[in-house]
Amino acid sequence: MLTMTDVKKVFRTDLIETHALRDFNLQVDEGEFVAVTGPSGSGKTTFLNIAGLLETFEGGTYQLDGQNVSHLNDRQRSQLRNEKIGFIFQSFNLIPDLNLFDNVDVPLRYRGFKRNERKKRIEESLELVGLANRMKHLPSQLSGGQQQRVAIARALAGNPRFLLADEPTGNLDTKMALSVLELLKQINQQGTTIVMVTHDQHLASQAKRNIYVRDGQVSEMSGIAEPAHIEMHQAAIG
Amino acid sequence: MFTYYLRLAMKSIKRNPILSALMITAIGLGIGASMTTVTVNYLMSANPIPHKSEQLFYVQLDSWSEFEPAREPNEPPDQITWTEATNLMQANQAYRQSAMASTGGVIEPQGQDEKPFMASIRLAFSDFFPMFDVPFLYGSGWPDSSDKNRDYVVVISKATNERVFGGENSIGRTIRIVGENFRVVGVLDDWLLVPRFYDVTTGAFDETEEVFMPFYMKQELELTNGGNTNCWKTPEGEGFTAFLQSECVNYQMWVELRNDNEKAQYMNFLDNYVNEQKSLGRFARPLNNRLSNVMEWMENQEVVADDAQIMMWVSFMFLLVCLLNTIGLLLAKFTGKAAEIGLRRAVGASKTDLFIQHLVETACIGIAGGILGLGLAYLGLEGIKSLYGEFVQNLVGLDVTMMASAILLALVSSILAGMYPTWRACNIAPASQLKS
Amino acid sequence: MSSNQWEIGPIFRALMRNKVGAILIAIQIAVTMTIVVNSIFIILERAQRIERDSGIDEVNSFYLTTTGFGENFDPKSTAFNDLELIRNTPGVLDAIQINAIPVSGSGWSMSFQTEPGEEKETQGGAIYMVDEHAIDALDLEVIAGENFLPIDVRFRQPGVRDWPDNVLITKVLAESLFPDTPYQNVVGKTIYISQTEPMIVKGIVDKIQAPWVGWDDLEHTVLTPEITGFESNRYYVRAQAGQRDAIMPVIEEALASSNKQRIIRGMRTVQETRERSYRGDTAMIKILSTTMVILTIVTGLGIVGLASFSVNRRKKQIGTRRALGASQGSIVRYFMIENFLISTVGVSLGAALTVILNMLLVEMFSLNALDWYFVPAGMIVLWVVGQLAVFGPAKKAATIPPAMATRTV
Repeated sequence: MLTMTDVKKVFRTDLIETHALRDFNLQVDEGEFVAVTGPSGSGKTTFLNIAGLLETFEGGTYQLDGQNVSHLNDRQRSQLRNEKIGFIFQSFNLIPDLNLFDNVDVPLRYRGFKRNERKKRIEESLELVGLANRMKHLPSQLSGGQQQRVAIARALAGNPRFLLADEPTGNLDTKMALSVLELLKQINQQGTTIVMVTHDQHLASQAKRNIYVRDGQVSEMSGIAEPAHIEMHQAAIG
Repeated sequence: MFTYYLRLAMKSIKRNPILSALMITAIGLGIGASMTTVTVNYLMSANPIPHKSEQLFYVQLDSWSEFEPAREPNEPPDQITWTEATNLMQANQAYRQSAMASTGGVIEPQGQDEKPFMASIRLAFSDFFPMFDVPFLYGSGWPDSSDKNRDYVVVISKATNERVFGGENSIGRTIRIVGENFRVVGVLDDWLLVPRFYDVTTGAFDETEEVFMPFYMKQELELTNGGNTNCWKTPEGEGFTAFLQSECVNYQMWVELRNDNEKAQYMNFLDNYVNEQKSLGRFARPLNNRLSNVMEWMENQEVVADDAQIMMWVSFMFLLVCLLNTIGLLLAKFTGKAAEIGLRRAVGASKTDLFIQHLVETACIGIAGGILGLGLAYLGLEGIKSLYGEFVQNLVGLDVTMMASAILLALVSSILAGMYPTWRACNIAPASQLKS
Repeated sequence: MSSNQWEIGPIFRALMRNKVGAILIAIQIAVTMTIVVNSIFIILERAQRIERDSGIDEVNSFYLTTTGFGENFDPKSTAFNDLELIRNTPGVLDAIQINAIPVSGSGWSMSFQTEPGEEKETQGGAIYMVDEHAIDALDLEVIAGENFLPIDVRFRQPGVRDWPDNVLITKVLAESLFPDTPYQNVVGKTIYISQTEPMIVKGIVDKIQAPWVGWDDLEHTVLTPEITGFESNRYYVRAQAGQRDAIMPVIEEALASSNKQRIIRGMRTVQETRERSYRGDTAMIKILSTTMVILTIVTGLGIVGLASFSVNRRKKQIGTRRALGASQGSIVRYFMIENFLISTVGVSLGAALTVILNMLLVEMFSLNALDWYFVPAGMIVLWVVGQLAVFGPAKKAATIPPAMATRTV
């Protein structure tokens, strides 16, 4: 699904060069739920931006869903983001002036779907996150957890192969965080590949696979998730 | 506290220099344009003789053709005939009165260096000078007797005195005008009338005349007609006398009436006079005599040019756009400061504090805009001077009143413009902006 | 590109959540349009007025006034001597004595009628007292009938009230007096001046304007054959091409030295006279044009300023849109459409205000009514201004990187 080979990213200012990523290698297979952790400044966010085609990189290759995306132009990368990648952000990034329906509609418009198709997808995805009855509400009228659910609905509406989550529960309290996490797991079980960036070890432990980033490199990988998550699951439902 | 707000305002203005410059420029342009046109209109419509404009009346008599009015709708002619001018003067029914006419003639200075030159001449009666409070540098107007005796006396303007007599006290000296010798009895001081209300038929903003001489010199010396001559009937017979006796109007008549009673009496006199003339076969039209005071007459004669008024309205709309512009920009700016405002609220600033703080900022922008506007108004008036030429010289001065009003207008309008954005900004809940 | 990507619905709904800013711009656009359209209309009307042809050779001509004084001044001999002197000056094409100058603003008019007596329909006409040289000096053409002969020209003393027997009139006056007759056939007809005094139309000239540029019957003109003996006389001189400026001082000097009993004043070219007569119109054109341009710039800058602010405020949103798949083009388009919607409200309101202002101007200052097409033209102009103004900030918005979405501000 996602293969990064020797990817490099350097930030330059007048005075210094910062190597955000160096020889970054990572392979994520279809259907995986991967958590990427690491301390602040480790290169997590840079990795996320590059994986999500939000930023370009200098060296190495990056293959997304079998396609080499190293040398795509801005337009091609926009299109690829739109079609293949769903984004979930820490601060939800809903558009405050648009109601839920219009918010979920945003990526679908760029996709060029027909009106009926968009309507169907918006309703389905809002249904999936349990907010179908609040379509005309504005984001400001929802709680943080609900807002993140809308963001997930927005990410899913276009049926992406690959979901990128950036601290998806960072702005949520524990209870809401659990329910969002549960939702992500559910989505993963239905076949969508998820890569989640977080600094929260506990949250990361819920993923099937953990990757630890330090100094711009993948330094360590841990195995399968621990059984603890089952209790969490129950807690969330309860 | 105020100085603290002032410091905050300065900081805020400097933080967004381009935006602040845009707002100041917008207000400046709006104020500049408005003040330019307001000044021109204000001076055009100024009361040239405020302390007695209510007591001075312009006389109109409807001597026109029975078949059509002099001007639609049924307006009497705006001047009178020689016959009426002399009859009304002889009747002597007002407190003060002067018929008048304009003419011109060549002045021949006695010295060898100075060439003969053409001068504008106002023919008037002795009452002209006290009636219009004419300022004298030397001497005075001529006595009543000179009117009747047709004395060869003149009052000359300061400029003419400079030119002919080198600025000396010329009372009693001889000046040669239209080929005749006149005795100087008075020299005027600077006398600028804006508008030159006593005769607006040719141009309300012309200068006052260079020479003033007794009215009957018109007949005595057969002086030419200045201004407009309008006739509904061709003079009967040849020669100058035939023309004077014709129905052609070329003369103006002013009377000074001190109160309503005098005015009513004079109106009554005019009506009787016209009825008497009707019995002599003149004045075929229905009674339509008018007495207009100075400002009524200026209004009737549409002294304020249409173009000047159009420009003033356009400039007000211009100012409106500039203010809307400023409101929009302030709104954007204060919205951008939401985080700061939220923080200030959180640390204990009251809504009133914030309101005053932002109003001070707006007022600073307003004052800066006003000063810029004043500069632009000055340029605008210079521009008008260069576009319209010398005849607007007297219409484009900026006085203290206008300067103060420019700043005030800028201040008031910018504060008004700042009201809504400020109100909006102050209603940001404390700490709502502290998160994320 | 499908119409779905135009996002008109969502843009409109988002705008409705921020009405005040949008309404402010819309009103600005509306008022700007009102001023611009009415100004352009006034400007075009004034320009048309100024461009009217006076019918004379303005470029090569000038005139001056002489005023005699003193007992020894003889108007008659002075006039004939002066004319001979001027006409014989090298560089002069022809010259006449004339009582008034076309487009100068002062002159003499009389009423003319086709039947004698009171209460008949009359036509006003400006009078130019000239001799047979007028056709060449004024650059006219006799298009029917004949020019004056020297024998037609009389000497007119001051105070004389009657008129010469033969006159030339303009084609326009001929047609006004005899609306049912071709102008050629007006030659030889009798017209009446001073209600009862007959004069015969000797010829028709193509065109010469009256002195008053604001007069409705600007081309109602009558040439009467006479040399006048007034105290003040005007001479109108047409120079050979390119000679005007050179001969002006020569003639002034020659006249001044030929007779000391008079002053020469008011020497002026016809071009300058035209410029003075239309100065108010020229000034109005310049002032309104300047106002219009500055106003449009202010409005444009206002749009730029507000759009820039809105871009700054929406950085995160724009980044998010980019992350969700918006191309740079989509972002540009978003702002362009947003502005278009605001402008549409603005120009619609502007269309109404434009018409209202015009109606007020018609009512208060008797201006003409606006031609309908000025309104749609104005709408298009303001639409374009809005789009141009917002293009810069929109381009800037498009450069906001998609990675802005993951940045914690």
